[in-house]
Amino acid sequence: MGVAVLLKQVPDTTAKISVTGGRVDESSITKWSISPYDEYALENAIKLKESGYGDVVVITCGPARASKCLTEAAAVGADKLIHVVTESGSLDSIQIQALLSAAVKESSCDVVMCGKQAADTNSGSTGPGVASALGYSCVGAVTEVSIEGNVISATRLGPLGLEEVEVETPCVFTFDKGDTELRRPNVRGIMMAKKKPIDSLTSDDLGVDTSNSMVSVESHSSPPEKPPGQKFVGAESVPAVVNMLRNDANVI
Amino acid sequence: MAYEALDFYDIDSLLTEEERMVRDMVRDWVEERVLPNIEDACRDGIFPDEWRVEIGEMGILGAPLKGYGCPGLSYIAYGLICQELERGDSGVRSFASVQGSLAMYPIWDFGSEEQKEKYLSGMAKGELVGCFGLTEPDYGSNPGDMITRAEDRGDHFLLNGAKMWITNGTIADIAVVWAKLEGVIRGFIVEKGDEGFSAPEMKGKHSLKASVTSELVFQDCKIPKDRLIPGVKGIRGPLSCLNNARYGISWGAIGAAQSCFNSAREYSLSRIQFGHPIASFQLVQNKLSWMLREITKGQLLAYHMGKKKDDGSWIPEQISLAKMNNVDMALEIARMSRDIHGANGILDEYPVMRHMANLESVKTYEGTHDIHNLILGRHITGIQSFTREP
Amino acid sequence: MSTTVISESSNNSLHPITAQLVGAASALGGSITIICPGGIGATDAAQISGVSKVISVEGGCFNTYDCIAWSESLSPLVKDDLILSSSSAMGRELISSIAATKGVPVVQDVTNLAEGLLVTRSIYSGKAIEEVRISSPCAISLRTNSFEAAGGGGSAEITTVNVSRDITVAVKQALTKAGERLDVSEADIIISGGRGMGEPSNFSHLYEVADALGAAVGASRAAVDTWDDIPHSMQVGQTGKTVTPNLYIAVGISGAIQHLAGMRSSKYILAINKDPEAPIFSVADYGIVATWEEALPVLKDQLSEILSS
Ligand SMILES: Cc1cc2nc3c(=O)[nH]c(=O)nc-3n(C[C@H](O)[C@H](O)[C@H](O)COP(=O)(O)OP(=O)(O)OC[C@H]3O[C@@H](n4cnc5c(N)ncnc54)[C@H](O)[C@@H]3O)c2cc1C
Ligand SMILES: Cc1cc2nc3c(=O)[nH]c(=O)nc-3n(C[C@H](O)[C@H](O)[C@H](O)COP(=O)(O)OP(=O)(O)OC[C@H]3O[C@@H](n4cnc5c(N)ncnc54)[C@H](O)[C@@H]3O)c2cc1C
Repeated sequence: MGVAVLLKQVPDTTAKISVTGGRVDESSITKWSISPYDEYALENAIKLKESGYGDVVVITCGPARASKCLTEAAAVGADKLIHVVTESGSLDSIQIQALLSAAVKESSCDVVMCGKQAADTNSGSTGPGVASALGYSCVGAVTEVSIEGNVISATRLGPLGLEEVEVETPCVFTFDKGDTELRRPNVRGIMMAKKKPIDSLTSDDLGVDTSNSMVSVESHSSPPEKPPGQKFVGAESVPAVVNMLRNDANVI
Repeated sequence: MAYEALDFYDIDSLLTEEERMVRDMVRDWVEERVLPNIEDACRDGIFPDEWRVEIGEMGILGAPLKGYGCPGLSYIAYGLICQELERGDSGVRSFASVQGSLAMYPIWDFGSEEQKEKYLSGMAKGELVGCFGLTEPDYGSNPGDMITRAEDRGDHFLLNGAKMWITNGTIADIAVVWAKLEGVIRGFIVEKGDEGFSAPEMKGKHSLKASVTSELVFQDCKIPKDRLIPGVKGIRGPLSCLNNARYGISWGAIGAAQSCFNSAREYSLSRIQFGHPIASFQLVQNKLSWMLREITKGQLLAYHMGKKKDDGSWIPEQISLAKMNNVDMALEIARMSRDIHGANGILDEYPVMRHMANLESVKTYEGTHDIHNLILGRHITGIQSFTREP
Repeated sequence: MSTTVISESSNNSLHPITAQLVGAASALGGSITIICPGGIGATDAAQISGVSKVISVEGGCFNTYDCIAWSESLSPLVKDDLILSSSSAMGRELISSIAATKGVPVVQDVTNLAEGLLVTRSIYSGKAIEEVRISSPCAISLRTNSFEAAGGGGSAEITTVNVSRDITVAVKQALTKAGERLDVSEADIIISGGRGMGEPSNFSHLYEVADALGAAVGASRAAVDTWDDIPHSMQVGQTGKTVTPNLYIAVGISGAIQHLAGMRSSKYILAINKDPEAPIFSVADYGIVATWEEALPVLKDQLSEILSS
């Protein structure tokens, strides 16, 4: 019993990204944060805990700097902190999912929550991948959960719209934004978080082979500059613009 | 664009993780809650009550005080809190300064055990609001000559007199009031609803509009005997509160200056005149470089002052220097930033004019700029020049 | 290299992205198999040119969506070294799970795909472009409208397979039907309104333009947060949907960086805003400085004129 929350530390969504020598210059990123959707996962995990469901174990997989997001999670109520220490950006999805799944097993949590995608790569591979690796059920794009016994009901945005689904544990939930308000940390939480130990694990500790990544980054580049747009003043320019949309851009 | 605080000398690296987390928490709150609403609050002349609640929930009130439900943070953390609040607005920082340093502090340091138990934890949570009544209509820079009096009537005290310019007065549940008892300045705790006590709000401010400023009026105000603050006598009582608040202001001013600098930098990069961004002109760069220089010096000053507060090795004159220097530089930066914004600088779409007007109050309260000059003058020469009497 | 394409469907028919997936696969050469979950769109899939085989997978589990049950049913049918899907919410989920089941890596939301398996994707909300080399076998999801669609006229053989797995996710009730209106993530044209619309009822003007264009209506977060009538499902941006339509029309939206994150890679952007300094103009191909009150009626008239002719 317990909820494992998978957190990824990403550059703050407002951070400037600069590319030097064909690589994103991580040292120039001034602010790292918990990926926004993961924050909703964390909030919902804490709510579940408050309704009586076990401890919240937060797990991050990343370089040394990533431990900060565990402490931030502790400040709003996470109970146990696990840092799977890896080099930044060198692993493929299978390896990351194997590390996270192994860490979830260590934590013996039967509910796993994470964001539906991380704000850096926007991939969304982790939740369903971890579910498959662990043999858990998976519900995606969830905005709310509640539990009774071992049945969790969740609100998800499915292919047919918003729906209420029920699923038995063990299960992975990936979170969307929804109406849930995130709690703010407070001084008491921050002071307690500081005292919470972080359990640092390596791939060896977890028995996962991370030597051969099937994916390697060839290069990073800045997005191409768009040609400057054209600006018109006044509603009387609308016909001309409509004309260009139709004849130059061919989009209407 | 996201706010990136100026940190030219990497003060960040000197902070503990806890201090950084507290700073970020307050910064995020200001970003989310204060900045989008501050102009409305100023226009309406109110301090929104939900800010009180949320500041209380963050647990930052009375930051450096320990025990009785108080946060027990470092003085550096307290400074950072003030800096971030004042980046939003001096009025918000004033709320926290008055509550923590002027109302909670005297109870915490000089209050009876019962008083501490009764008030402090509620005040730390923002559930009880406090104010600090020292200044009187006729006694500002020389509060020692105050006329508010307390009389011992056996089973109670009777207070008579009036205080003016009292931050939080009208919204306060309790007032720490300094009055003379048998010719000696003593602190009293007056509660809202005490017979003969009223706190009408002062209107028409062009500065600190999002902060409540009030008169406190005592007409045969009857208060129980156990409301006398037992642990301090004389002007030292109020002055020791002011030391803490002034220290906080030295950080707060940096926040206001940062806001003005930030706005000036962004504006000057985007404003095109004579075919070029005005940021490309040397005179504008000179202004920006001056701002950077002064903010950086102010940060080093405030940081080192905080370290001295934390290890106890400070003297009040050092705080005077930090308060006067940093408020002075912030006000100058606000004016310079206003200038860089041209006509746009007078609009409420930019924070500059608001900070500029606020800082005029900040320059005056907690010891006017020149009173701090006199404090330093006395320190240098050994000769006091506050009064003509020796 | 031979490829398996997981088809995408919407409203019980084949989604046009499927032809784009085939187009991308054709460029790499090799045979192309399309797997149609639930058999939806199998006949249309067979007509996409370049497809060698269509597997129509029918089974009880395809009546509701359960990512794990689906992927466990489909995975054994995937025999090729390259698996492609759309990068829609469901496409990503399904391919992640299939990739994990087969033990192959997955790269999502790819905008370019070249031999040697060199893929391009945008990272950090479009603030950088990443080129990644990925060794097969592997799985890749592709972004809508980034690849030339394969044409029609094919006639692939359709094999129907009956497999199913236990559903573990039970749908108890539909809370809102997916709007009859087009969802922003599916539309080729989107018209979005922001706080500048003044009141939620003014979105009716956006709907009128949308109806003329067959567009979806979106919104900024300020609009979603301020007005209960504007649901979160309409939100475009960092914490909403990332969209890449051919045309994105932003009305009364300032263009905060988090909003731009969700729409800046649209092919064309038209901004209508009364503030000439609004940052939205910096990404707009066409900017009109005007209030929507002035601009939208003209836009409606113009559209009905040219679209009827
Ligand atoms: C918005 C606001 C909020 C405030 N909140 C509080 C509060 O919560 N509690 C509280 O007790 N007070 C509060 N004050 C009052 C503040 O502390 C006083 O205004 C301040 O101490 C100055 O007093 P004064 O205004 O009477 O000015 P004065 O003392 O009359 O000074 C006027 C000018 O004379 C100069 N001056 C005075 N004496 C000398 C001298 N000897 N030599 C040279 N120059 C001199 C001063 O520097 C100043 O420039 C507040 C004030 C403001 C504006
Ligand atoms: C972590 C985080 C995530 C976020 N995620 C998102 C997200 O996913 N999506 C998103 O949109 N935002 C997001 N935001 C919020 C974002 O920062 C902005 O606050 C938001 O996009 C502003 O919405 P807006 O442009 O509608 O409103 P405003 O910024 O208020 O702009 C309104 C615009 O309307 C114009 N206007 C006013 N009246 C008229 C008129 N009559 N005619 C024409 N124009 C007019 C004004 O000139 C102005 O430019 C996020 C913020 C954070 C911190």
